Amino acid sequence: MTEIVNEQMEKEKHIRGLGAMILSRTLDKKIITAQRQGRVGFYTPTMGQEAAQVGLSMALDKDDLIYEYYRDVPMMLHRGVPIEIILNQVFGNRDDLAKGRQMPSHLVARDYNFMSVPSPVATNLPLAVGTAYAKVYRKEKGIVVASFGDGSTSTPDFHAAMNMAAVFNLPILFFCENNGWAISTPVEKQTKTEIWKKADAYGMVGMKADGNNLVEMYKTAQQAVEHVRSGKGPVLLEARCYRMGPHSTSDDPTKYQTDIVLDGSEKDPIVVSQNALKAIGLVNDQLIEKVRAESQRIVNEKFDQQEKIPPPDPETIFQDVYAKETWILREEREEIL
Amino acid sequence: MSNMNMVQALNSTLDMKMSKDDSIILLGEDIGKDGGVFRVTDGLQAKFGPERVIDTPLVELGIVGMAIGMAVYGMKPVPEIQFQDFIYTAMDQIINQMAKIRYRTGGKITVPLVLRTPYGGGIRGGLYHSQSGESYFVHTAGLTVVTPSNPYDARGLLSASLELGDPVIFLEPKRLYRAQKMEVPDNDYKVEIGKANLVHQGDSVTIVTYGSMVPTVASAVEKNGVDADVLDLRTLSPVDIDAISASVKKTGRVVIVHEAPRTLGMGAELSAMISERMIEYLYAPILRVTGPDTPFPYRLEEYYLPNEKRIMAAVNRVLEFR
Repeated sequence: MTEIVNEQMEKEKHIRGLGAMILSRTLDKKIITAQRQGRVGFYTPTMGQEAAQVGLSMALDKDDLIYEYYRDVPMMLHRGVPIEIILNQVFGNRDDLAKGRQMPSHLVARDYNFMSVPSPVATNLPLAVGTAYAKVYRKEKGIVVASFGDGSTSTPDFHAAMNMAAVFNLPILFFCENNGWAISTPVEKQTKTEIWKKADAYGMVGMKADGNNLVEMYKTAQQAVEHVRSGKGPVLLEARCYRMGPHSTSDDPTKYQTDIVLDGSEKDPIVVSQNALKAIGLVNDQLIEKVRAESQRIVNEKFDQQEKIPPPDPETIFQDVYAKETWILREEREEIL
Repeated sequence: MSNMNMVQALNSTLDMKMSKDDSIILLGEDIGKDGGVFRVTDGLQAKFGPERVIDTPLVELGIVGMAIGMAVYGMKPVPEIQFQDFIYTAMDQIINQMAKIRYRTGGKITVPLVLRTPYGGGIRGGLYHSQSGESYFVHTAGLTVVTPSNPYDARGLLSASLELGDPVIFLEPKRLYRAQKMEVPDNDYKVEIGKANLVHQGDSVTIVTYGSMVPTVASAVEKNGVDADVLDLRTLSPVDIDAISASVKKTGRVVIVHEAPRTLGMGAELSAMISERMIEYLYAPILRVTGPDTPFPYRLEEYYLPNEKRIMAAVNRVLEFR
């Protein structure tokens, strides 16, 4: 009986996962188009990384905490972050949790265990080490995930965090979303080794996953998460995926990239994942079409709705610098406003 | 009351606060078994265990980043950077993470931590064990910058810093670590952050200083019978503009003394603040006595550090200006 229930739950998990991927892709395309129309200032598309992120997210629990990076929208949607939170941040409107202070794509959703995004890459990694340490110190459940791109593996912060996590044997999953590019620099010019192999030098386990296939990604992610959760120490999990869009809406990848994976093509992780799920009889074209239509309806409706929200009050510029406003900030506020 | 030097004052304060609050956790290089190279954390690992007094790998950005990651999760970490001169690889963590997390999360995530680090010269430390880099931190919105000049203030400021709820850069003037013993209360008193201390009173000139220069200025003033207000800032960001204003409006003459290089040092900001709001009270130009704009020398450090002769020359110039 439990076996049948478990099997049913796993099936639903995969269907939900694909749903989040399609919703995220729909939102991505909507925001990119809106940026070109001048309705959004900036955006870092996430197309091509959906299966990697959602496959991992499917293996995580509610108590797990994530230091995300600026392309992790699919993971956030899958973990239940309302689309409104994402759109409010993209518009930088009055309802944005960070009061319109950051460029689009720098999301925060602390209530959903997403810890916020700085632009300097990999600087969240040492923080993840500290948070994992605090979790162990307090004997709490749950692991910490730190996600980053392939370019981040060249930074001193990556080295510091990997080393410390291993030395202190902490429950961290280092999740490298290797999309092959750091703006215009290909991964071959970033590092001479495969990224997952770097783990060995730090004395931790490294794993490589097919980040284009939801079914395969989930399987590998489960093993990685299980290792970390069982107290055996950190894992470096490298998911191979594609950056199907530009680095950001300010970037033209045709200048340096010749083999761009096109939306809906056979390498597209949504197509790969749909085919994998179809092969094991979990989804069919009819269901996929229904999810697409529903995603489009939700995205259009929410986009128009959140776009109408006015910008934050100018006073907010001076808030949250300190717990209490200093005399210097008070003077500057009174002068400017 | 106990008779103690600054190292003992800091050590006993950490001990007292850690006994009361198990979210306080110390981390840094050689701070555990060894008690830190200046012994500020001596004995604390034996008492609180290696999980709470953590000997870390040798990586300043990792120490600071790890401390931030603890603070955002509700702990109160006290990272130690062995010498302030070694902090620069962690400046990205300090400027882009520590100082900005409250702001970038709309106040949802905060960083209650106290980063302790010895700074300043006078111990024959040369270029890389003597720097006074306070301006780098004061220039960064989101940081509170504190520096004690005696054991009493060290204890009271550390206690207040641990309860501020925001990141504090706690600069310890290493030359004063063992320079002076004084009677210090054993209770958990606080020295309010943002409040200066009038260490000498007079009507003719205001000398603004802080950290390691406080005893040098105080002794110069006393030896030479100068009728001066001597203000020990204690907090460099935000500075106590009320205390400065009250004194300057009384004296109309100002000298600023610090060890850090002159260009864009604290003196530049203080001078601008005073000029902007009190020019009509001034009888003389504001003078600065500071370290020169050179790296910090080893063998000839007594030429680098402001001394009685230079302080008195500036004081006399300001007093005699007509």
